[in-house]
Amino acid sequence: MSEYFSNIKTGATTIATGMAITLRHFFNAVKRKGDAGIDDPDYFKQVDGLCTLQYPKEAVPTPTIGRYRLYNDIDDCIGCCQCERACPVECITIETIKVTNDDLAACGKTSGGQQKRFWLPVFDIDVAKCMTCGICVSVCPTDCLVHSPVADFSEFDVRNMVYHYGNLTRIEAEAKKRKLQEEKAAKEKAAAEAAARGEAPAAKPAPKPKPAPAPKPESDQAGE
Amino acid sequence: MSQSPSLNTWSEALSGFYIGWLPLGLLIVAAIPLVFIALYALTYGVYGERKISAFMQDRLGPMEVGPWGLLQTLADILKLLQKEDIVPTVADKFLFVIGPVIMFVGSFMAFAVLPFGPAFIGADLNVGLFYAIGIVAFEVVGILASGWGSNNKWALYGAIRSVAQIVSYEIPASIALLCGAMMAGSLSMQQFSVMQAGPYGFIHYYLFSNPIAWLPFIIYLISSLAETNRAPFDIPEAESELVAGFFTEYSGMKFAMFFLAEYGSMFMVSAILSIVFLGGWASPLPNVGGLALNDLTSGPAWGAFWIIMKGFFFIFVQMWLRWTLPRLRVDQLMYLCWKVLTPFSFIAFVLTAVWEIYK
Amino acid sequence: MQELGKAELNSTRIIRQNDNRVVIEKDLDTEYMVLSMGPQHPSTHGVLRLECITDGEVVVEAEPYLGYLHRCFEKYCEKVDYPGIVPYTDRMDYLAGMNTELAYCIAVEKLLDVEIPRRVEFIRVIVSELNRIASHLVAIGTYGIDLGAFTPFLFCFRDREHILNLLEWISGARMLYNYIWIGGLSYDVPADFKKRVAEFVTYFRPKALELQKLLTENEIFVKRTKGVGIMPAEVAINYAWSGPMLRGSGVKWDLRRNDPYSVYPELDFEVPVPDGRFSDIGDSLSRHLVRAWEMDESLKIIEQCLDKMPEVEGFNSRSAIPKKIRPKAGEVYGRAENPRGEVGFYIVSDGKSTKPLRCKARSSCFVNLSAMKDLSKGQLIPDLVAIIGSIDIVLGEVDR
Repeated sequence: MSEYFSNIKTGATTIATGMAITLRHFFNAVKRKGDAGIDDPDYFKQVDGLCTLQYPKEAVPTPTIGRYRLYNDIDDCIGCCQCERACPVECITIETIKVTNDDLAACGKTSGGQQKRFWLPVFDIDVAKCMTCGICVSVCPTDCLVHSPVADFSEFDVRNMVYHYGNLTRIEAEAKKRKLQEEKAAKEKAAAEAAARGEAPAAKPAPKPKPAPAPKPESDQAGE
Repeated sequence: MSQSPSLNTWSEALSGFYIGWLPLGLLIVAAIPLVFIALYALTYGVYGERKISAFMQDRLGPMEVGPWGLLQTLADILKLLQKEDIVPTVADKFLFVIGPVIMFVGSFMAFAVLPFGPAFIGADLNVGLFYAIGIVAFEVVGILASGWGSNNKWALYGAIRSVAQIVSYEIPASIALLCGAMMAGSLSMQQFSVMQAGPYGFIHYYLFSNPIAWLPFIIYLISSLAETNRAPFDIPEAESELVAGFFTEYSGMKFAMFFLAEYGSMFMVSAILSIVFLGGWASPLPNVGGLALNDLTSGPAWGAFWIIMKGFFFIFVQMWLRWTLPRLRVDQLMYLCWKVLTPFSFIAFVLTAVWEIYK
Repeated sequence: MQELGKAELNSTRIIRQNDNRVVIEKDLDTEYMVLSMGPQHPSTHGVLRLECITDGEVVVEAEPYLGYLHRCFEKYCEKVDYPGIVPYTDRMDYLAGMNTELAYCIAVEKLLDVEIPRRVEFIRVIVSELNRIASHLVAIGTYGIDLGAFTPFLFCFRDREHILNLLEWISGARMLYNYIWIGGLSYDVPADFKKRVAEFVTYFRPKALELQKLLTENEIFVKRTKGVGIMPAEVAINYAWSGPMLRGSGVKWDLRRNDPYSVYPELDFEVPVPDGRFSDIGDSLSRHLVRAWEMDESLKIIEQCLDKMPEVEGFNSRSAIPKKIRPKAGEVYGRAENPRGEVGFYIVSDGKSTKPLRCKARSSCFVNLSAMKDLSKGQLIPDLVAIIGSIDIVLGEVDR
């Protein structure tokens, strides 16, 4: 019997405690937590009050380190394809054309002063596939591939999620390819002549352009 | 009892108001509660619950449609109206359709006996309280019809739970209200308010003038939650267990009818509670010395104001409880009803009777 | 088992045993109803399907059906090199990414035999304990929802948000961190990190107390969970339960103590187990209480780590990361204490490749969930919901 009454008593008191808590929150609703970012010293200042942020108008600032949209600074890219190999979800597609000797100046240097040796007709990032793990960024030797803290980049068409960063149009790429072929042919001819003259042949054959591992997605207007 | 006929003169005068052949007065009388119900259900019921729950949970609630989200409910109703009215092919179509209608009609039928002022009451039945209790039981039919008619396992569970719950909770609720009836010596809703009106305001309320009245008051408050399927007794619709309980299969306007019926019943039980124990339309302000606060705040319009405010307060309490407490289990619900509330309501009944005899 | 209550109704006897299970005896046969609970059901925490055979409200048998979220984790691991697996481990237990990453990295580091800088170890412990709190907050909050209390859930998520912001600040991502790398961390923590975490600890203590008052001490909550779904210790061990589930049954087993890794041996913390004062040992309430107590212990661990964490000038968190991860041939099992129990990775390396020959994940939720059939026998449907909630499953980890 005493258990019966103590049950009722604890029930009433704990319910009253809970109701006091919710009522306190109800009256605290006049205060609002601002949209201070975590790096703000006042971040934990506001303890009570509403914490909703009305998203498109207000948002929690993403930290500068934020790993969201993948961005490639193509001017700094040397076409080493390390990111493509490191990516666990294969969201980066790269095609490279070796720069011919006379074009080296035209191809330019990275901001770090390194000579670029590849044209990049195709450098596609499928950000819809990208899982923002950041492995590609960590392997990039020139730090040209970065995750930007832009978190909201939705599109109505999933095909628009493929970002093209290539630095050659298709026609230019064809021209460069032909040029490379010609140079290679010239080199081979020179090598053959040299071999005919009995000199030691150049040991290594001309480096082939890397075989594209995946069939190239239709990439019109690659690189504007 | 003597003043009861004269009180209705105001509404009778209004109902006798004709323009030509058009009974405009009657139309106005009929329109007042409808307008009130619509406004209440749209504004306070749905919008208020959203905002109150949001504030209790440190959220903002609806903010986008209209200033402070005031038009959100309207937008929701428009959305629900546009939705396809789905009747499952294997459902019992008659029961499926009639269920929400019974719920809706039932919850608003009790408004007929609610006195919204000293001169305004839809039907001053001499068995008004009895009628109001009966109407709550009527809703069970709607729940059972929709739960059974949906041909859905979750809906069936919800309906069975609901019937067991509401029928059980009728008993402590009715006995608690009977305590009030004993205090007033009448079953007429208007009579309750008349008995509790007086120059000292809230002192005349049974809750404060009668030393036992708090017990039936609390018992009715708890069982009214169960009768309207509100948390912590919302086991018929328990969303984490039964998806949506008896209205799992409903969509569109039929769902909206359940929704509005719920808020209708919430106001109904709140109004009954405030009429029986808190004086209905009687002003709570006392006449202090020369300041005749009570007289100033009495009258037809003030009466409507007070009863609606009291009703709103208890609706707030219902929402407050809902957003604080977890849900009971079926057997615990029955334990609370049969082993706690019913014995205590009998005790309250006897004590009230003793008090009424020997006071 | 004695009969606690007996109700006679039309030659039907409903008997509630002292472990809260209900047995129905009838003189006439009635039909069982098959109730498919999920995969779209509010209380199955994702896409779990329970096929319940019910007798009225009483569940005669419930069979969990899994695999709706199967993503071929192990097959992926054969295709991706060692560092590339880390983001996939995040996606296993998406509520406690840091802890799962830590378990995986411990396994690979064992295989590689690398020395981890002390500062890295402390940061790893801080982030995984923060993530443990975040994960327990979700567990407690959703448990409240399962039992019909909505408000604690929102409070839990409000506080979890601060943890996610903290972790986003250091790792760049809110849930799928890829922060703990094999041999190090992707970044060192920002300069203000220690201060902010200390602020969080002071902020969170009163909030945890409020949560306790609002939910854990609530009489309805206690009545709903106490004595429901009792799992005796020996059965729990036989089911290979781990984590708060096993500790809820009264077994003091915590990998941070029993198989210490990282810097846990240096830290002072308790392994909370229920003592039977507030709950029946092994019931849903015990499991809930263990989680609530563990949040306190995690706060203690974080405070100690903040004190002990060495400050290194110009620290490079990637200094110990091997250039090429190609372990010698062999196999290893590394494990860590996840918020939900033991998460382990069994890795086989052939010594030639940068990809593991096989990487098997031992998932805590999957093992904990396997007892569902045993636990659900003779429970009411509301109790079944309470039991599923107390198991605290993350379907991403169950199905992998």
